[in-house]
Amino acid sequence: MALDAKLLRADFPVLAASKAIYFDSACTSLKPRAVIEAEASYYNEMGACAGRSHHSLAKKTEEKFESSRERIARFAGAKKEQLVFTKNTTEALNLVVRSLDYSQRRKIITTPLEHHSLLLPIMEQQRRGVAKMEMLGVLPDGTIDESSLSAIDRNTALVAIHHTTNTTGMRAPLEKIVKAAHDAGALVLIDGAQGVPHSRVDFGKLGADFLAFSGHKMCGPTGIGCLLGKKEAFEKLDTFIVGGETIETVSLEKVVWKAAPKRFEAGVQNYAGAIGLAAACDYLSRVGMENIERHEHGMAGKLIEAIKSIPGSTIYGSPDPSRRSALVSFSLKGVQPHQVALMADSLSKIALRSGVFCAQVGMHALGAPKEGAVRASLYLYNTEEEVRTFAEAMQKIAKVG
Amino acid sequence: MVLCFIALPVFLVLSIFSAKYRSLARRAMDCVFRTATLRPCDTGLDEELKAAGIAGIMKVSPSAAAFTNRHFEAISMALAILFVLSLVFTAEGLYNYWAYGNCNGKLGGFCPISDVQNGAVLKAPKTLHGISAGNPQANVTVVEFGCFTCPYTKAAEDGVRGMIANYSGRLHYVYEAFPIANHPYSQEAALAAFCANDEGKYWEYREAVFAAQDGLRANGTSVLYGIAGQLNLTRFGACMASGQFEGLLQQNTDECAASNIYGTPTFFVNGKPFVGQTAIFDVEKEVKRLLGE
Repeated sequence: MALDAKLLRADFPVLAASKAIYFDSACTSLKPRAVIEAEASYYNEMGACAGRSHHSLAKKTEEKFESSRERIARFAGAKKEQLVFTKNTTEALNLVVRSLDYSQRRKIITTPLEHHSLLLPIMEQQRRGVAKMEMLGVLPDGTIDESSLSAIDRNTALVAIHHTTNTTGMRAPLEKIVKAAHDAGALVLIDGAQGVPHSRVDFGKLGADFLAFSGHKMCGPTGIGCLLGKKEAFEKLDTFIVGGETIETVSLEKVVWKAAPKRFEAGVQNYAGAIGLAAACDYLSRVGMENIERHEHGMAGKLIEAIKSIPGSTIYGSPDPSRRSALVSFSLKGVQPHQVALMADSLSKIALRSGVFCAQVGMHALGAPKEGAVRASLYLYNTEEEVRTFAEAMQKIAKVG
Repeated sequence: MVLCFIALPVFLVLSIFSAKYRSLARRAMDCVFRTATLRPCDTGLDEELKAAGIAGIMKVSPSAAAFTNRHFEAISMALAILFVLSLVFTAEGLYNYWAYGNCNGKLGGFCPISDVQNGAVLKAPKTLHGISAGNPQANVTVVEFGCFTCPYTKAAEDGVRGMIANYSGRLHYVYEAFPIANHPYSQEAALAAFCANDEGKYWEYREAVFAAQDGLRANGTSVLYGIAGQLNLTRFGACMASGQFEGLLQQNTDECAASNIYGTPTFFVNGKPFVGQTAIFDVEKEVKRLLGE
């Protein structure tokens, strides 16, 4: 059954309250009522700690928290033991990059297209002399140059790469990359922040060692993210943030750490966030990830068509909608990106992102000027009518350039 | 950056009336402070103002929006210069008013907030040659020096009539004609009003003259005849042709000169002067005060 965006919009209180055309879902998505209520249910009905106390409220919290873990893991094709709760994707990526042992293998392979959340921890490891960073090549249309996969060798500890970029909405050739990495004995870390919310991502089938994603980009709450990892991959990581509930026993002489995922979940967790994210996964599953993916490809086509028809417009990345989620970065000749976004808001209440999207190196690699570009990123609640309004507004704004 | 300098005083004033402008004023102040201390202004306020401005213009005229976008720096610089100049002139005027009693300083000239022009203080009229209404024995006398083709005099007219009606019996009102040289057909209108008064129809004719002010200024004396329907036209025509009230008008004009009148309407309430289009409100307040209301 096809997705009916107009029908789904009723589930999102913000859309009813503001009448805005929300094209900034790559930054953060809107939240359906079911998620808001689920998150509030923790504060209304439980409000206790999980895994520590033994009273009934604590037990109820533990039960809800762990069942949320199971539902989220299942949504992403993983087992609950494979899911570590984090604050967001950034923390999950930092956890892997900063906790891996680089004494035997020195190299981290990545791409210039990565979000700062992934690129900066790697650069920090290089600056500290812990690891050496190497880049895969990127073609002018934003495609990974597969001939550069030969850089992955026996000295590579980690290949860290996006599932889908936040600058072009294009996917990396993960099957080939995972194979090349595993053939060389390297681990693979995938930044799924822009992939998991928009397509069916199955951690088991993906074959990667780690997959990170955020709740807030997939209709879930802010402040909750996930790191999925294989058991043997988690065992290769040193501790990251340590504290309550990460240990089996502790004395001044020795600490016995718990196994993952608990070893990486120090302190009281974001129970409300986890319950809300599980509700978001349930919501997306009810809509159907295949339906969402199909809807977004259709929207991407219309977005690209609208932008291409504007004289002096530039689209970054491949103009082929079948290779994208509904995310397009572009610029209009003679009008600064920030001005385009501000004018779109003033003219038609269209929420767009402008700048370099926390991917300065990537935008430079794609040929964008230092001011960056404008980004329209759509989701399941956006309609063709909104794209038409967007197109009309862009036509008007382009004329001032 | 330039926009922040203009925005700051504007938002500061608006902040007095609405809290929603206070954060904008704070951002503008931050930008001005940063610029003054040679640091980059990073509030983004100038970009927001530019975008909002161009988007607003776009709704009216896309070509004007394009022009504004392409020449935004030059336009904002010109606005800033105008703004600074207006601040300088305002400050100069206030200083002159404080130092010389007139916004133009020693040179004198029209000053809407001053009763001192060309170094001469307005003096209360003594002879009262004009047309009067109300009670001549009343304790409060209001004298108006007006011009029939002056838009400011016309604007005050409703207030004048309301005041005469409200304080009937307790107020003596006198209208003295002051035909201003650069107001067309003012002298002719004043003479026509005297002719109407001769037939006992002054107030009806005065109302008709103010109502037809725009037409009179544009089309001349024929309008004065056209609105004289309530008069004996033969007598009115003869009166106008004879110039029999030119002497009275001269007496009115002489009285204006003696009182140092420089603009219309000018009111005197028991000798106290009030000048300008909105002075009638202050006149009423003064009348109320004198009548103990």
